[in-house]
Amino acid sequence: MSRFRTILGRVGRSPALLGVLGLVAFGGLVELLPHTGWVKAEYFPPSSRIARALWQVMGQATFRTALADTLGTWLTGLAIAVVGGVVVGVLIGSVPIVREFTASTIEFLRPIPSVALIPGLVVLLHQRQATLVIIVYASFWQVLVQVLYGVADVDPVTRDTARSYHLGPLRRIRYVVWPTALPYVVTGIRLAAAVALILTITGELIIGNPGLGKQIDLYYTALDAPSMFALVVVTGLIGVVANTITRAAERRVLRWHPSVRGELPV
Amino acid sequence: MRMRRIAALLVGASLVITAAACSKNNPPSTPGTPDKVTAEVIPIVDVAPIYLGKSKGFFTDVNIDLSLDTAAGGAAIIPGVASGQFQFGFSNAPSLLLAQTNGVPVKVVSSGNTATNDPNNDFSGLVVKDPSITSAAQLSGKKVAANTTKGIVELAIRKLVDMAGGDGTSVNITAIGFPDMVAALDNNQVDAIFEVEPGLSAAKAKGWHVLGSLATIDPGMTVAMYFTSANLAQSNPDLVARFTSAMKKSLQYASDHPDEARAIVGTYTQTPAAVLQSLVLTGWPQDVNTDSLNTLADLMVQYKFTDKRPDVSAILP
Repeated sequence: MSRFRTILGRVGRSPALLGVLGLVAFGGLVELLPHTGWVKAEYFPPSSRIARALWQVMGQATFRTALADTLGTWLTGLAIAVVGGVVVGVLIGSVPIVREFTASTIEFLRPIPSVALIPGLVVLLHQRQATLVIIVYASFWQVLVQVLYGVADVDPVTRDTARSYHLGPLRRIRYVVWPTALPYVVTGIRLAAAVALILTITGELIIGNPGLGKQIDLYYTALDAPSMFALVVVTGLIGVVANTITRAAERRVLRWHPSVRGELPV
Repeated sequence: MRMRRIAALLVGASLVITAAACSKNNPPSTPGTPDKVTAEVIPIVDVAPIYLGKSKGFFTDVNIDLSLDTAAGGAAIIPGVASGQFQFGFSNAPSLLLAQTNGVPVKVVSSGNTATNDPNNDFSGLVVKDPSITSAAQLSGKKVAANTTKGIVELAIRKLVDMAGGDGTSVNITAIGFPDMVAALDNNQVDAIFEVEPGLSAAKAKGWHVLGSLATIDPGMTVAMYFTSANLAQSNPDLVARFTSAMKKSLQYASDHPDEARAIVGTYTQTPAAVLQSLVLTGWPQDVNTDSLNTLADLMVQYKFTDKRPDVSAILP
């Protein structure tokens, strides 16, 4: 009994171990669900069946191609959104008049769900281009808004100092604006990466350009529920990996920053 | 299927941009170099002949370099072809007739696929689970699943109920995608489904019974066709004629070699080989069946899809 309590105490102190246990419990729940009679195993298979389908699907060449297509589309869209968001954000944010002038337009365009653009886009563009547009449209605002906050956050004393030292616009951006905005930019990228992944799968599923989303649709039309859910698991795993990478990058890029150093700013 | 709901919107949008987009995507043929064309299809069994024809080289034989693109739903295909985004497309017959009635400039270039000639062995079927329902007439006022409203499936359900002596217009049509129909009937969300392969095989395997099919209404009924824009048909009739001839050869080859047709479906869908082996194939005649199109046009007026009867001759070449 006391040994059991010791083990329990050790598990309780380890967040990683607890996380794994939580995941196992969730898997167990999905395994049991079809046995309760609420859902039929035929339409929502137990987790063991999904795991077996995942193993089979992963061995196929079509899976590897689809995974590469999804990653390619996602990262291309994300890159365009990040570069565009940073450049436009720094330009708009640095000039107060432009910032005020564009604020209402940005606030109007930003909430438009990019999936609402799909019907209009598929007539005008090729499938992959249409998907890229909805990815960029959704994730661009994430970056832009963060950059605008970041640029606005520049310490007035620092800005005045830079001005009295006659720093040119480029050097002001490099030494004053950029270090202040960087934490915001990194947060923007992390948010954009998640949004871009959602829109990548959405585009493949609805517009039909090659990738995991399209494969999900093909398994769906073939009435192959286990393989379909196996790919849903894969898209979730991509999201987890993306989040882990961006968080690690955040710590690395910002290791000098008070928010990461964990010290009190002076 | 999802996308068919926004078809009306797309058709409208395509009209606006048709004039602007047509010219750039239809380069004139240069002698010697193959014409690069893209055909937009749906990844289903029905389009096996065009995949087979491409792999057999029937299109390169007539100097066409064919690319096949698949759309998840069919709705974007008509606006996409009308606007010149793709040169050729595959769409169901009522949608093409409706597009023509709405002034979208499309021209049929080839037969696509049809019902079989055997009412009791078609690739489609009106299926019920409740053994006490033995006639389609009993579905009057009941809830029946169609993949989309205002499509060939809705026409078929209403007509089958009427033919059995019921009231077809009283049927409550519910839009449910083909892949979800078996589950919907299993969960009693609907009283009947109008399903196609491979779902039809799954429904039959459950011991449910089929009350009728497209072939019951009209053996060999036209389901879908290949088409192009009126603009391309006019500006490059030679290219369109070559596409038509390659398509005819492909349809004939698929009809003569059903095993090869079944096998090629596995290359662009995820349908398991065992299912492909046993499912009922659609008909793939070479020629467009004008009588069947007229039947469809009449049904479209009868069930109020449109006030104006579609002009069948206007979409034919």
